[in-house]
Amino acid sequence: MRRLKERRSAPDETVDIDPRAMGALIEQSQDIHRNAMTVTDDSLTEMVESGREARANGEIDPEESRQVAERRSRMMTGAAFGGGLLAAAGIGAALQGLFASEAFAASATDVQILQTASSIEVLAVATYKTALTLPFIGGSSANPVVKAFATTTMQQHAQHLSAFNAAITQLGGKPQTNPDPALGKVVQAAVPGLTSPGPVVALALELEQGAAETYVADVAALSDLNAKKVTASIMGVEAQHASVLLAVQALLNANAPQLITLAAGNVANLPAAAGSVGFPQAFFPTDQARPATEGALS
Amino acid sequence: MRRRTQHNDVLAISERELTVMTEDLDQMHHDIGMPAMNAAVAEWTEKIRTSRRGFLIGAGAVAGGALLAACSSGSSSPTTTAAPKSSPSGGSSSGKLTGDLAVAALAASLENLAVAAYGDVLTAAGAGKLGTVPPAVATFVTTAKGQHAQHAQAWNSAIVAAGHPAVTATDPVLTPVITADFAKVTDVPGAANLALMLENVAAETYQNAISVVKATSSVKVAASIQPVEMQHSAILYFALGQYPVPNAFSPVTGARPLTDYTG
Repeated sequence: MRRLKERRSAPDETVDIDPRAMGALIEQSQDIHRNAMTVTDDSLTEMVESGREARANGEIDPEESRQVAERRSRMMTGAAFGGGLLAAAGIGAALQGLFASEAFAASATDVQILQTASSIEVLAVATYKTALTLPFIGGSSANPVVKAFATTTMQQHAQHLSAFNAAITQLGGKPQTNPDPALGKVVQAAVPGLTSPGPVVALALELEQGAAETYVADVAALSDLNAKKVTASIMGVEAQHASVLLAVQALLNANAPQLITLAAGNVANLPAAAGSVGFPQAFFPTDQARPATEGALS
Repeated sequence: MRRRTQHNDVLAISERELTVMTEDLDQMHHDIGMPAMNAAVAEWTEKIRTSRRGFLIGAGAVAGGALLAACSSGSSSPTTTAAPKSSPSGGSSSGKLTGDLAVAALAASLENLAVAAYGDVLTAAGAGKLGTVPPAVATFVTTAKGQHAQHAQAWNSAIVAAGHPAVTATDPVLTPVITADFAKVTDVPGAANLALMLENVAAETYQNAISVVKATSSVKVAASIQPVEMQHSAILYFALGQYPVPNAFSPVTGARPLTDYTG
C-alpha cells in the first residue's frame, strides 16, 4: 500500500532486556487499558439503546443500505461536493424514499461499515497470530520488544474486533467473523516471503496503516454517535501501531535491531532521523482506506 | 574498543538510511497527506463562506453543551512551559464563537500551546538547561513543533473563513500549569513527559470533538489530526522507555473543556 522501499533484511539478533521489566510495563499498560475500556463500554451501552430504536423500525434492506454506503463513500472522498446537490436533485423519488427511512438506512450503512472494520480486525489478529509462530517474531531468537509488541497488538486487535462486533449486534446486524477478502489476499500472497523480521514488519505496517486510514474515513461516514465514538477510540491506536512499526522498520533496515529496546537511556543511541520516522505526515491520510462495504456481509 | 567501533559504524549507516527514509516519508506527506487535508479544509471553509449561518456556526449551543458535559471532568491539569503568548481572547472575538467554531478555537489554542512548549524546549536545550539532548529528541521536537503549527493553521482556517481573527492564544487554563511545570524541568525525560501530557490532551480533546461537532467536514479535520497526536505520543513513550501503545482504546477523560478557551 505504502511506497515502502525494499531494504536488506536485518540479521536475527537478540538484545539484552529484563523480561520482568517488560512484563511490568505490559501489566501497567493493561491497567491503563482497562480504564480506557470503561469509556468504550459506556459507548457500547449507549449504542444498545439506539440499536433497539433502529430495530423497531423494521428489517434492514441490504440494497438500500448499499446505496447509502455508496453515497457516503463518495462523500468520504469529497466527490459529492461541488456536484452533489445537482446529482441529488436528479434522483427525485428515489431520494425521497431514502429520506423517508433515512435513520434506518443510515443504521444499516453503519452496520456495513462496522462489519468491514471487524473483517480488518479478524485479519489483523490472524496475521499477528501467524507471525508469532515464526521463530524470529515469537520464538527464542526474536527481539523481545518485537515479540511483546506482536503479542500485545494481537490482543488489542482482538479487543477491537469484539468492540466492533458488539456494536454491530447492538445495531441489529450480524457480527463479522471472517477476514477482509481483499486484504486477505494480500496477506496470503505475502506469507511465503515472511522469512525474516523485515517482511513481517512491512506486512503488519500495511495492515495497520490500512486499518487506521479506514477508521479515520469511517468516523466521517458513520451516523450512529456511539459507533462513531467506538471507531474514534480505535483509529488512533492503529495509527500508534503503525508508528511503532515505522520506527522498527527503519531500525531493521538500518541494520540496527539492537536499538529496538525499551531499555532506559536507549534514546541517546538512536540516530537523529529516528525522532520523526514514526509520524511522517502532519495530517493522517485516507487514500488507503478500505471501501466501506468491502467486508460487509451480504 | 572494537565493539564500540562497530557500534558507531552501524549508527553511521543508520543515520544515512534513516535520513533517506525520512525524506521519502516527507515527500509522501506532501504527495498524499497534504492534498487530502487541503481538500477537507477547503470543504470546511467553503461551507462557512457560502453559509455564514450554516451549521458550523449554528450548531452552537448543542455542540458546545455536549462537549462541556463530556469534558467537565478533565479540568484538573498538568504541566509547563512559557507564559501565555497572548490573552485568552487572543485578539479574537472568542465570545462569539459557538458550535464547531468554538471547538476549533479550543483546538487551535491547544496547538498554539504545543508549538510554544516545543519552542521552549528547543530554547532550553540550546541553552544547555536540559543536559545532553540526543539527536533523535531534537528531531522529534523540531518535527512535532512543525506539525502542530500546521494543525493550528488547519483549525484556524474555519475560524478565519467565518470572519473571525485567527486564534493566536495558548490554552489559557493549561498554559500557567505548563509554565509552572516546565520551570521544574531539568532534563530530557522531564521535557518528554511534559510533551507526552500535551500530546495526550490534544488527542483526547480531538477524539472527543469527533462526537461533538456537527459538520462532517469538522469531523474530517479532527479525525485527520487526532491519530497524528497519538503517533507523537507513541514515539514519546518509546523514548521514555515505556510501552508505546498502552491502550487498546484511546480514552477521552483528559479532553479539555470548551471553557478553557471560551471562559
